[in-house]
Amino acid sequence: MTDQIREQISALLDGELPKGEIGLLLRRMERDPGLRRSYESYVLAGEVLRSPGGIVASRGFSARVAAALEDGTSLPESAPVPLDRGSRRWLRPAAGVAVAAGAALAAVLLVRPDPDASARMAGQTQRTPSIRAVLPVGGASPTPEQNQRLAAYLVAHGQYATPIGRRAAWSNALATDPGITRVTIEIPEQR
Amino acid sequence: MPMANFPPDDGSTEPHESRDRLDRPEAAVDESDLELVKRVQRGERGAFDLLVLRYQHKVVKLVSRLLRDSAEGEDVAQEAFVKAFRAIGSFRGDSAFYTWLYRIAVNTARNSMASRHRRPLDYEADLSESEQSAVAARMRHVDTPEAAALTDEIHQTVNRAVEELPEDLRTAIILREIEGLSYEEIAAAMDCPVGTVRSRIFRAREAIDRQLKPLLD
Repeated sequence: MTDQIREQISALLDGELPKGEIGLLLRRMERDPGLRRSYESYVLAGEVLRSPGGIVASRGFSARVAAALEDGTSLPESAPVPLDRGSRRWLRPAAGVAVAAGAALAAVLLVRPDPDASARMAGQTQRTPSIRAVLPVGGASPTPEQNQRLAAYLVAHGQYATPIGRRAAWSNALATDPGITRVTIEIPEQR
Repeated sequence: MPMANFPPDDGSTEPHESRDRLDRPEAAVDESDLELVKRVQRGERGAFDLLVLRYQHKVVKLVSRLLRDSAEGEDVAQEAFVKAFRAIGSFRGDSAFYTWLYRIAVNTARNSMASRHRRPLDYEADLSESEQSAVAARMRHVDTPEAAALTDEIHQTVNRAVEELPEDLRTAIILREIEGLSYEEIAAAMDCPVGTVRSRIFRAREAIDRQLKPLLD
């Protein structure tokens, strides 16, 4: 059975595997390190034969790329669009505009100054120092709109809350979804 | 051999020589690459690892030649793969994946050279075989001695394994890997069924793999 699968891998590398067999084979290879090792070895042999004395990637290069992709800075820049959904490409700009509009609206609603609060703050003599906050802005679980709303809420909350309350709110938000992307923003000093 | 989609409007001229010089991409769209890209776009990170395994040598070689430095070449090649992963949502499958990756790798190398104010190796340059070997040898020497020795050993092992193959397997693997013939063309050349070609190529790869295994594990 394994020989049969490795023969499929060999044909896959040559672009000679029937299309119907590709999907299952790739799934198997993703799961099975032994099959990936065979695949890597076949690739290497081909490169060496085509380029005698040429340069090959060092051992561990692919692992280093994988490690670089694991860190949070290497997430895809935008939500990927599957190749077979080209007919809906026109929706992407519209969705972007909708997200931006939603975020702006959330910011207006959530950060809108409260006249009473301003009056209360005018009476305060203590100034809150400038702070840096780590805020979630995107991720797999919440939608972008939800993240934008959360971010706007945390900014607004951070302007008025005590340091302890502020820290508790951020901790809660960050603990909710460990997979979310984080950005560091500056919250200006209150005046 | 047809070629397409070389690095875009950045001052480069159209390539004109054999693709082996800098592993210029072929136009053919590989179905397995497209399948892997779709999976990455659906969020399956493991699929990207398979693309890296497939193209790591090509990209490292390309970038190392552009930079004239194999040690830095790996860093820049890694950066190119990371950029490709980040941008994969924009890949539409209009060209071969490697064509797209090749463009990212060339641009990443050029950015790296620009940041160091170095003159890039003109990849249109018509280097002779001996000059290419000299460049490759010089680049190997910037690696650690251990890495250079391993690379040499890998080359020797593969070539020795091919020499030791029975003639039918050796012919099949050479026609495929070096001459780039399709299974159908090899079947015609060797006067045997396509299924036999597939089996011979696989057995040849297995024989090479058995000798490579101790070096790779």
